[in-house]
Amino acid sequence: MTYAYYPGCTLYTKARSLDLCARRAADRVGFSLEEMPSWVCCGAIFNTAQDDFAARLGAQRNLVWASRLGDRLVTLCAACYNVLKRAGARLSDPAHAEERERVLQFLDEPYEREVRVLHYLEVLKNDIGWDAVREKTVKPLAGLKVASYYGCLMVRPAEVLDFDDPEDPQVMDDLMRTIGAEPVTFDFKAECCGGYLVVNRRDAARDASAKVLDNAKSWGAEAVVTTCPLCQYNLDRLRKPGGIPVFYFTQLLGLALGMPKEELGLDVNSGDPAGFLEKKGLL
Amino acid sequence: MSEDQRPERAGGAPGSGSRVPDPGPRPPRVGVFVCHCGINIAGTVKVPELVERVARIPGIAVAKDYQYCCSDPGQQMVRDAIKEHSLNRVVVACCSPTLHETTFRLASEEAGLNRYLCEIANIREQCAWVTEDRDEATDKAESIIRMAIARAVNDAPLEPVGVDVNKRAMVVGAGIAGIQAALDIANAGYEVVLVEKEPSIGGHMAQLSETFPTLDCSQCILTPRTVEAGRHPNIKLYSYSEVDAVSGYVGNFKARIRQKPRYVDFDACTGCGLCMEKCPGRAESDFERGLDKRKAIYRLLPQAVPNRPVIDPEACIYLQKGKCGVCAKVCPTEAIRYDDEEKFVEEEVGAIVLATGYELIDPDKMPNYGVGRVPDVIDGLAFERLLSASGPTQGEVKRPSDGKAPKKVVFVQCAGSRDQEHGVPYCSKICCMYTAKQAILYKHRVHDGEAFVCYIDVRTPGKGFEEFYKRATDEGVTYIRGKVSKIFRRGQKTVVWTTDTLAGKKVELEADLVVLATAVVANPDGVRLAKELKLQLDEHGFQTEAHPKLRPVETLTGGFFLAGVGQGPKDIPETVAQASAAAAKVMAMFGQDRLFHSPTTASVDEEVCVGCGNCEQACAYSAVEVDPKRRVAVVNVALCEGCGACAVACPSGAMSHRNFSKKGVYEMVDRA
Amino acid sequence: MLTAKSPASTLRQIEELSGQSVADCYQCGCCTAGCPLAEVMDPGPAQAIRMLQLGRASELLASDGIWLCASCMVCGSRCPRGVDYAAIAEACRALRIRGRLGRVGPESVTEDECEEVPQQAFMAAFRKFSG
Repeated sequence: MTYAYYPGCTLYTKARSLDLCARRAADRVGFSLEEMPSWVCCGAIFNTAQDDFAARLGAQRNLVWASRLGDRLVTLCAACYNVLKRAGARLSDPAHAEERERVLQFLDEPYEREVRVLHYLEVLKNDIGWDAVREKTVKPLAGLKVASYYGCLMVRPAEVLDFDDPEDPQVMDDLMRTIGAEPVTFDFKAECCGGYLVVNRRDAARDASAKVLDNAKSWGAEAVVTTCPLCQYNLDRLRKPGGIPVFYFTQLLGLALGMPKEELGLDVNSGDPAGFLEKKGLL
Repeated sequence: MSEDQRPERAGGAPGSGSRVPDPGPRPPRVGVFVCHCGINIAGTVKVPELVERVARIPGIAVAKDYQYCCSDPGQQMVRDAIKEHSLNRVVVACCSPTLHETTFRLASEEAGLNRYLCEIANIREQCAWVTEDRDEATDKAESIIRMAIARAVNDAPLEPVGVDVNKRAMVVGAGIAGIQAALDIANAGYEVVLVEKEPSIGGHMAQLSETFPTLDCSQCILTPRTVEAGRHPNIKLYSYSEVDAVSGYVGNFKARIRQKPRYVDFDACTGCGLCMEKCPGRAESDFERGLDKRKAIYRLLPQAVPNRPVIDPEACIYLQKGKCGVCAKVCPTEAIRYDDEEKFVEEEVGAIVLATGYELIDPDKMPNYGVGRVPDVIDGLAFERLLSASGPTQGEVKRPSDGKAPKKVVFVQCAGSRDQEHGVPYCSKICCMYTAKQAILYKHRVHDGEAFVCYIDVRTPGKGFEEFYKRATDEGVTYIRGKVSKIFRRGQKTVVWTTDTLAGKKVELEADLVVLATAVVANPDGVRLAKELKLQLDEHGFQTEAHPKLRPVETLTGGFFLAGVGQGPKDIPETVAQASAAAAKVMAMFGQDRLFHSPTTASVDEEVCVGCGNCEQACAYSAVEVDPKRRVAVVNVALCEGCGACAVACPSGAMSHRNFSKKGVYEMVDRA
Repeated sequence: MLTAKSPASTLRQIEELSGQSVADCYQCGCCTAGCPLAEVMDPGPAQAIRMLQLGRASELLASDGIWLCASCMVCGSRCPRGVDYAAIAEACRALRIRGRLGRVGPESVTEDECEEVPQQAFMAAFRKFSG
């Protein structure tokens, strides 16, 4: 099955290797991601001010374009997922019908159909199914105690995203289990890494990220896996070097599916991720 | 007692299917009395103008107005007018009939007019209070009065229906509420059937260590009651049993009670306890709130009443696999019965008291508090077991993870209460007090321990309660005002994130043990039973009382009374008071020989009825049944609440409603 | 909309922009307790709402605390009354930003950071903080 795909700015450029890894992993699992022929920046964060309709336009434009391709749009990045889905909910909310009209008039294009914004993990769980993913797993990540870190944008606001339990989400843990790793339960799955505060308050972001890693370690995790390139950066790069590795989920998925080391985008991680994986007998 | 229960009136037997009685003398002579209700009505409705208009309606013998018709002079005015003008119908235009219909009906009867020939026109709640424009309001009031006149003219004089009373009571639930109610009724000389679903009685109070504010040992004050209830000659106790269904009506109920299989012969067993000593089977103990395991053959506590164990079939190795059988071997009186089965019993009673109690909210609703994931986070009842001398740690405070005495305990109030988003919106009432108690008791047991209470408010509304809270702070308990946001693990410690709103700062506490005062919720078995009995529940599953202020122990269904937390969160003194009040209501009922029921009930024209059964399906009170032999519907007027649903559902018009006939309704619509 | 129907009081503007009602808050402090930035945010979320409840909106608008929100939404997610402080903080910032009083701009970022940090962070930070 082919899905319309929205990469977003970071995965398209600085974290390009993660994007490629994800697409190749998708191929192996049995679906394909076709990048939208044209897309714009989603805005990277959702603006909540009620009258800030211009700030939502970028994301809504992407949905309008996606509606020409079908009724779904898949993204890999938690931030894009958050913005697109909330912008879409706003567009479809009958309480804001006036705004919808204004937007569509401005964009001068029809919203052909309601577009469901999906995260790659949702595709794996609901459309592909864990059994199919397990079948395609050639190198189960046996013995890897990994803490699944979702971050805040993946799960909140829960009433709009309806992604998983906002306090104790499980879908990435399920994926880790499916590819043979040992998901570690911990308390900071959806606590903030500091997010965009890394720009103006790097110290605050560092403290927030440190709390996440400390808690994961407290529960025995030897690695952390994330779904947002910014979370990955904050957890991995703000601390002193030498801590537990922080992976992006498609890296571990690709590894389990038998993808070669070069295709896993390990340039993104600090320290020696390949060395770590080799020592665990996984590479 | 309502107007219909006065003993002067004796009526027809229940189940009478007579035609609607003749409305009476024509032409009608109607008296209309318009109440000002101070400015409640007169401030909006132009009363003098209204009276003039009404006086001109044909058939109106007299039209008057008065400031407060419900007052003595007001009622006297009505009585005098009835006599003076030989009125045969009365309409009082005033407030809602739920307030003063009885008042004016009795006044009419005192003047010699059958009370059911007096109708109320609600021109306050349905007119003056909801209309702004004065002319609109006056027009509407006239319309309402015209309708009431049409109704009154079609009314017939009726007599209340009398039913016999079976002077036996049933109390469902034998916690402190049920026990108290049962004892009161039994001591008054009436027989009580007491049904309890657990193997022994005492409810949650039996799990407590000490009670606030006196720090009395809970067992010490409870066991005298349980023992008395267990041996009272007037109390028939069904333990390990549940009420499955109740049929009948007030004064005449039939209850079907299911006795669950104990697998122990009640009479042969002496309660010696040898079986429990030897049993190898294990299961999680609900009584110990998951802090300990119990045997497959068990009793809840050493002082159990009745002192007879039960076998949990899921945990019993013999019942599951056919092996073991140790209990049967060691029992000195051969009381084990592996072939036991559930039994059904029917009891006939005249009144039922529901005392079904509560549970604590499922902590899954608060995943940020980490219950089940983070070690050493327990709820209030579990902490009671730790404090209790007969508990899993013999009263020594030890934390579940490693059995060490915790040196720093954090008590978290409002875990799930006052939280419309994740829990329940209401306050659970007892937690502030029991948290203070638990903190005080903890400090008594662990002298060098530190106790912190995280609170939003501290509510101390009872006698000695505020002083008790002061005692807690005097004895070194630290209160921090802030609602806990997160509980997580850090090494061997359990970390609590809260705020000190009074100082304006976030606070992090590293605790050895965290106790959550979780929200009180209605017992799900009680909810199920109430739905089965068609009793009203509020949106949270608590049983609804007949009036929140003035009728706290009755329900709107005749013969059912409420006691204890099943009706809403409350502490032990309030529970006991409510239980005694419910018992008093029961005794008031039993103090009469007959009960009287409103006669404005459904009525079947048997000539027209074909027995289609639509009415039976429509009835929410199970008050109408099709007689299988005669193929006609039969109304039980003692159960019928006069809602009219059957009359609406009847396709042939055979079903009508006394004093609310189809003809009458059409006339009301025409004359409005 | 802030244009034609501009209400008189600043508080009402904040409530309109945020879609929140500060009267709903019973000052339990759960928001502050769960906020990842609470140690450095002054005023913290509960205090900020208190200021609005007591008519000190202008003081809040001039404070530093509102510029420390990471929009993680834990506050709104755990509030027992359903009040979303993140939206309120954003409404306060919006009023400042529209008055050309934003806090962060391209000058806040070094070249090295520009190279290294995922650009979504810049997009988001400028969206929230730049005027």
